[in-house]
Amino acid sequence: MACLGVISTGPDVLSVSDRDRILQAMAECCAEHGYRATTVNAILERAGVERESFEALFTDKEDCALAALNKILSETVARISMLDLRTESEMEKQVREIQAILQLLAARASFARLGCVEARQLGSARMRESYEAAARVLALMIERAGSGTPWGASGVTARAALGGAEALARRELAIGGAGNLPKLLPDFVYGVLVPFVGQQEALRQAKLAARVAEEE
Amino acid sequence: METDQRNALFLAMLDELAQRGYEEASVERVRQAAGVSTGEFEAEFNDKDDCLFAAYDWITDVVVEKASAGCDSGEPWPDRVRLGLERLLEEVAAQPRLAEVLTRAFPGIRPSAYERYVALLGRFVPFMHEGRDYSEVEEELPREVELLAVGAAEAIIFGEVDAGRAERLPRMMPEILFSVLVPFMGPDRAADAMRSAAAAT
Repeated sequence: MACLGVISTGPDVLSVSDRDRILQAMAECCAEHGYRATTVNAILERAGVERESFEALFTDKEDCALAALNKILSETVARISMLDLRTESEMEKQVREIQAILQLLAARASFARLGCVEARQLGSARMRESYEAAARVLALMIERAGSGTPWGASGVTARAALGGAEALARRELAIGGAGNLPKLLPDFVYGVLVPFVGQQEALRQAKLAARVAEEE
Repeated sequence: METDQRNALFLAMLDELAQRGYEEASVERVRQAAGVSTGEFEAEFNDKDDCLFAAYDWITDVVVEKASAGCDSGEPWPDRVRLGLERLLEEVAAQPRLAEVLTRAFPGIRPSAYERYVALLGRFVPFMHEGRDYSEVEEELPREVELLAVGAAEAIIFGEVDAGRAERLPRMMPEILFSVLVPFMGPDRAADAMRSAAAAT
């Protein structure tokens, strides 16, 4: 059991928290100045860590940004998979998933901006690939949920429905309104559902979502 | 500076941004390409950024104007949306490099440039208001339905431009039209509009 001693676990614990501080600083610097103007020095200063720690964890600024993107992405997946949806209908499941995503974006405003805004239009080509991969997964989730409905689903329709939701999220993130996102749940629900279930049902679900959003 | 000359300068500036990127873009080269002297340039612009932001404002005016031309015709709203979308997609397909500047190269400069892109999307929102009259339900539609419709079209256009497939966009018009109309009219009538658009092209 000697391997569980202070010496062997100590540095690991420290490096994990350094890593989190650096990723948080990366997301915050990008939100304030944009990815291009963000420097490793600014990240170090904000995170309060030494350059050696950074260099031990990341090869460069882009590597660090990609790690920050992975962090918000894996947290999103974790939030969705932690939902207990055994008793819910397909549509209720989707509403709960959208709600979970909005709550996460609101709680992690800087990371949300990094993922939705920076990675798509202000970052490097590899950051854009990371954004595209995440968007493809979300569009597939929408397409899958829509495939059993009266109107069916095409890839373009699902991607467009996601695009509408993204435009709303990005507008809020651009004006520093991440905290508003959970309140907009009914609008998101309506936009994602309407192509597949029709206006009547999408509005009904939006109203149920409004009640859920108010209860929060 | 005459209007024509200023427009030529703006186009040269945007082209320079497309070809060389923001850091490498040179005012000197742009001036020479457009036949504008240093004095003429300095009389109107403080620096590269000043000219670049003015060029972006100008090109977004042109795009909005082109897409909205005919929107005051007497046609019903869904037909005007189709017409506007058709024009916009043809324009994007014909000028993929300019489309890339509009969607990525310029907004990517820094957050304040990106805000101009968000504002550009916002300019399409008022054209959507009338769609509420076409709803098949009596209740009020959600407040953000216009932005949902604009964002739907933008996602597809951005994706194709970004992937270097802007030339495909005019053929995708009927499907994009469906996504823009569906929040206002529901899937049955949006699909009718999509089918007639597909038959007409």
